Amino acid sequence: MKKEEIKLKLNVVGKNIIRVDGLSKVTGRAVYPQDIYMDNMLYGKTLRSDKPHANIKVDISEGEKVEGVVKILTAKDVPGHNYHGVLFKDHEVLCETRVRRIGDPIAFIVAETEEAAEEAMDKINVEYEELDGVFDPIEAMKKGAPKVHEDGNIVYHYKIRKGNVEDAFKECDVIAETEYKTHMVEHAFLQPEAGIAYVDDDGMIIVVASTQYPHFDQLEVAEAMGIPTEKVRIINPAVGGAFGGREDITLQIHLAMAAKATGRPVKCTYSREESFVAHCKRHPMVMKCKTGADKNGKLLAMEAEIVGDTGAYASWAINVLRKAGVHITGPYEIPNVKVDSYAVYTNNPFAGAMRGFGATQVPIAHEQQMDILAEKLDMDPMTIRMKNMFKLGSETATGQILEESVPLDRCIQEVEKVMNFTQGKKGGERE
Amino acid sequence: MKEINLTVNGKKHRIKIDENMRLIDLLREKLNLLGTKEGCGEGECGACSIIMDGEVVTSCLVMAFQAESADIITIEGLEKEDGTLHPIQQAFLDEGATQCGFCTPGMILSAKALLDKNPRPTRVEIKEGISGNLCRCTGYNKIVDAIEKAAILLEKGGN
Repeated sequence: MKKEEIKLKLNVVGKNIIRVDGLSKVTGRAVYPQDIYMDNMLYGKTLRSDKPHANIKVDISEGEKVEGVVKILTAKDVPGHNYHGVLFKDHEVLCETRVRRIGDPIAFIVAETEEAAEEAMDKINVEYEELDGVFDPIEAMKKGAPKVHEDGNIVYHYKIRKGNVEDAFKECDVIAETEYKTHMVEHAFLQPEAGIAYVDDDGMIIVVASTQYPHFDQLEVAEAMGIPTEKVRIINPAVGGAFGGREDITLQIHLAMAAKATGRPVKCTYSREESFVAHCKRHPMVMKCKTGADKNGKLLAMEAEIVGDTGAYASWAINVLRKAGVHITGPYEIPNVKVDSYAVYTNNPFAGAMRGFGATQVPIAHEQQMDILAEKLDMDPMTIRMKNMFKLGSETATGQILEESVPLDRCIQEVEKVMNFTQGKKGGERE
Repeated sequence: MKEINLTVNGKKHRIKIDENMRLIDLLREKLNLLGTKEGCGEGECGACSIIMDGEVVTSCLVMAFQAESADIITIEGLEKEDGTLHPIQQAFLDEGATQCGFCTPGMILSAKALLDKNPRPTRVEIKEGISGNLCRCTGYNKIVDAIEKAAILLEKGGN
């Protein structure tokens, strides 16, 4: 097909198109779950753990006496399976005997007003028997570390073995060996979690919640409720940002249980503070890297160990630490590679999806490695990258042959135009 | 309970309120003006920004009783009755300055308060004008573009 013909067929690419939901958003008419008010509705509040690792005993009797409280749900009220989780079912809907992080949900209070629910929350007695916790993923990997879950703390180990790094390092003229650490990151999407659930005339449970994963939420709600998926409908109204932070269940099952138990619509809106503790974070990573090159700046070998702290729950840890392992070599051809990437449980806030899924953390390591090597070779940082970058036909560390668009050289040349890496000092200087 | 008088989007109201009610709750729950959003509840994010007597305020930090005799504009007050968008709304739409939309009402009202006082702001002045409004999606550039465009539309004789 000729270029002209292709051009004619493109109705969207290359053009400015008005968003389908733009009008409702600039007028303020877009409906987020907190904007839904139903007749006769109740309000839900979540009582959460304030200890990172403890056995618990819950006594709701004083809370039930608060005027306006309709129902207090605990683990024993979960009709089906008391678990959920995107890869492993390691979350409890409501914790029964043990909490594994600050913020674990223990009870869901349903009341006529938010104030009554809050008052009851203060009156519920949670007896904590604190357990030793583990807060450093390196410590958590050691024998004898407190176990966050029964099967041990190492959730996942991903390996790459290509060539022979030991022999290759002997051939290197320069080696950079450094440990890098990244921190936890909160998505801080602007609309805190909110939802409303009700049971319709046919007995269908309807959960309206801002989510990234409605079809999976349907399955998780159905399993926890012990009903077929056809009896659960998830409605996803306007979503006020997500960035990966709405891929795990937060309030969906609590609301479904509350609507079923009371027969009335139940609404729940998290505060910003609760939102912070309720959903996942970006995985903090410890990345030990050893990268070697010959005297011309050609990369010969890389060895890396990545440890990702997934906190109390796995969420997407496997995908995230696999992706980190795949990308730790950066966009560079390296003939000899050894990578070990681990996801590890701790009693920290749980980590999951967040913009980049593990690919965001690793450039902090691989790009600084390149700068260190460039400095040791007295080479400018652009030249060492141009010598090693992926191009059409390159083979990655995982054996993938790049057969399509690989325009990194053009990208770096554009950056060079404004940054003057080659003209300036080794570290590059702005004009 | 207490009774207050105020004007919202050109309409006079006499409303019974609880003493501990916030202005955002009055707008959302008493007047059903749901375009005003709550993002943090402590004046940090600006999603609940409204214009009160010509100044942008975060309505989560203003008590409802403080709005006695006030003249308030919310996002619902910007469109004309026939549904024509305000030039700032039109510019936000045209420039793709809205994504998830949760910050958009507050952002547009901060832009309005700015342009009412300074009809042709520089990009730096625009950034200062919206510095109390957080957006987590766009990276702000398109929002600044939209406000620049709105200034031109308004100069050409928009409402």
